[in-house]
Amino acid sequence: MTDSLILGLSSGSACLATCGMVMFPYLMAGSAGVKRIAIDLSLFMLTRFVIYFIMATLAWYFGQALFSNPVVRNIVPGILYIVFAVLLVWYSIDKNRKKDCPAKIIKTVNNHRLVPILLGIVNSLGFCPALFIILTKSATQGTLIQSYIAFLAFFIGSSVWFLPLPLAGKMRKKEVLQNIGILATGLAGIIFMIKGITNLIGGIING
Amino acid sequence: MKKVKIIAGISWAFLCLILIIILFPGLNSFSVSVSKLPFMKLNPRYTGGEIANQVISKSCTLDIRRPVFNGFLKERNSGFVQLDWHGTIPDMIKDSIDFDHDGNKDFCISINRKDSKTVLNPFNKKVKEVLISTPTSYGWAARVKLVN
Amino acid sequence: MDKVLESAGMKKSFGRSLLYTLPMFLITFMFMTGGKPNFSDPASALAMMTAFLLVNVLYFFMHYTGKTDRYRAVLFIIFALSLSYTLIHNMLEVRKSMSFSQADILECKIPFCHLVIPMMILPAAFTKSIIFPGSIIGGFANISSMVLLWLVATVVLGRGFCSWGCFYGGWDDGFSRIRKKPVIKKISELWRWMPFAVLIMVALTSALALMPTYCSWICPFKAVTEFEQVTSVESATKAGIFLSLFGGLVIALPVMTRKRTQCSFLCPMGAVNTLSNKITPFTLKIDKQACTECLKCVEVCPLYALTPEDVKAGKVSLFCSRCGKCVDACSKRAIHYGIRGIPAGTMKNFSRNLFLFVSFLFMAIFSAGSIISTFQGLFKFIF
Repeated sequence: MTDSLILGLSSGSACLATCGMVMFPYLMAGSAGVKRIAIDLSLFMLTRFVIYFIMATLAWYFGQALFSNPVVRNIVPGILYIVFAVLLVWYSIDKNRKKDCPAKIIKTVNNHRLVPILLGIVNSLGFCPALFIILTKSATQGTLIQSYIAFLAFFIGSSVWFLPLPLAGKMRKKEVLQNIGILATGLAGIIFMIKGITNLIGGIING
Repeated sequence: MKKVKIIAGISWAFLCLILIIILFPGLNSFSVSVSKLPFMKLNPRYTGGEIANQVISKSCTLDIRRPVFNGFLKERNSGFVQLDWHGTIPDMIKDSIDFDHDGNKDFCISINRKDSKTVLNPFNKKVKEVLISTPTSYGWAARVKLVN
Repeated sequence: MDKVLESAGMKKSFGRSLLYTLPMFLITFMFMTGGKPNFSDPASALAMMTAFLLVNVLYFFMHYTGKTDRYRAVLFIIFALSLSYTLIHNMLEVRKSMSFSQADILECKIPFCHLVIPMMILPAAFTKSIIFPGSIIGGFANISSMVLLWLVATVVLGRGFCSWGCFYGGWDDGFSRIRKKPVIKKISELWRWMPFAVLIMVALTSALALMPTYCSWICPFKAVTEFEQVTSVESATKAGIFLSLFGGLVIALPVMTRKRTQCSFLCPMGAVNTLSNKITPFTLKIDKQACTECLKCVEVCPLYALTPEDVKAGKVSLFCSRCGKCVDACSKRAIHYGIRGIPAGTMKNFSRNLFLFVSFLFMAIFSAGSIISTFQGLFKFIF
């Protein structure tokens, strides 16, 4: 649970750095009142929660089917952790990350009511390395409940960053926080890389 | 205003000078005061928890500590119970432990001090494995993993 | 250059420098000897005298030459080396090994260092306990005295602690001085924020795991102090991380960049001390009228604390550790030690004298024990 929460906390900031500029105008329109912002934000969060719930279920069932052998259960996720962790580190240092925000398709939607839900879908399905890592983790959990817990921790960690969005426009040191968040994402990548290496070595030794 | 700022700055700087000068001679007594602060105690995950029960035999004493499940905000699912043997300990330790005081033995632990080989025989589903078994300055210590 | 310094009043005459050194002389004498010098053991007496002279000669030269960093660095580097020597020596004597055992952890005998403090805060607040297997009071490097020492030092010196009090900083400071010119000249400013990211990560992971994760997994200085016995894949991975970070951030990068890269890009304690830079009365100021914007200060700053924008704005960033390297490099004395509230360009000497006394006194007394013990070992080895 600890590493999922950390992953969510760190990648949430990068997610915000990536998509913040696209999402701001829709979720937090300057003229919007607190009530509308609260409703939109709740819808956005709820959509993410539902999608993560579905993903946790699917990932676990896939994991049961694919990783039945105990050695494969260590080695394959170990390799996946390393690959996705490298991607996560790259993602944090890539200067062009802002161009890749999947949420930009929202710009083509005219129905305002649908926007937070669509943003929630795009945000949670925006397959970033952090999500791949948590999918790998869920797939290798012993029980479905543990898979839900991993996703729940990831959801809580990443959601923390979205909650102050309405106030973000007024923050003076926005860039500083963004920089720290991006670097923290890279560090989370390194943590999972080590975890992957340890899994892999453990798998090879046990094999 | 400018003068007030200058005076305040210089006063603060001199106060800092005094702080540094008195810090080292007073370090021992100030440290004792710091050690009395409410959070200045080691977490049971490090101390091993309070001693809950003592088993005294002819030559040695076994301390059975309270099971530790401490977490950050709430108790964890997994924890441990620490056992400490003091005094003249035999080469082969074998003890049956009732850590939850329900009158039933929860596990039996055997330690060969010569090769540090430790065997755990659990009688309770909550008892999982030996985490640590090591010689210490006072004798021997072992930690056994438990789940809630 | 020397003429500039002299005319500006940085350099002092021999007699005046002696006079300025006198209070340091008396206070360090009291602390090192306890007021009663003991000559019964010649090696100890000689070690004590050497350490005492070293400290006071360095302080004297700071006043006599008007240079700060050159003499600060000597003591700072000796402090780092001697502390590692003392720790390793003790470990080898007591445990016959540089690694600590599970028994040492179980018996809470691990020496505490200030790097643990950022990881202690959340657990102390929420669980009302300390997550470190050390001694709360009594014994070598106990938690209470280290917390107290750091707390006072960080309030008084701010990030100055990183250049005047930290017993690890001398390692990368030393290696950063080996080459005359850097091989790597440009590093993105973004990396300056890395210690904050590390701080957030280690504070959160330590709280959730109730374990000082920086010490267990990251700290490069484990390579020159003590570390966990290698008994498993996990402990081998940890040892690998410690050694690679030490080799990379404390040796290779400082040599190639001439900067203190470990302090600039990793240390979470540096991030905490950066925040306390807001409290300390001692600052560095840029006299905009005297500044020619030659940017020599930016070039020499070992902690990436100065950028061309900072110099143009006449402000020194919060990353500054008051090491004095920029002050020594500035031929116009535009950048100088100052006291909060006093305008830039005024009371330069007063501010410098006061700051030097406070910061050097802290370093001299804090380092005395380990330096004396190192000299003692050295003399015993030689004679």
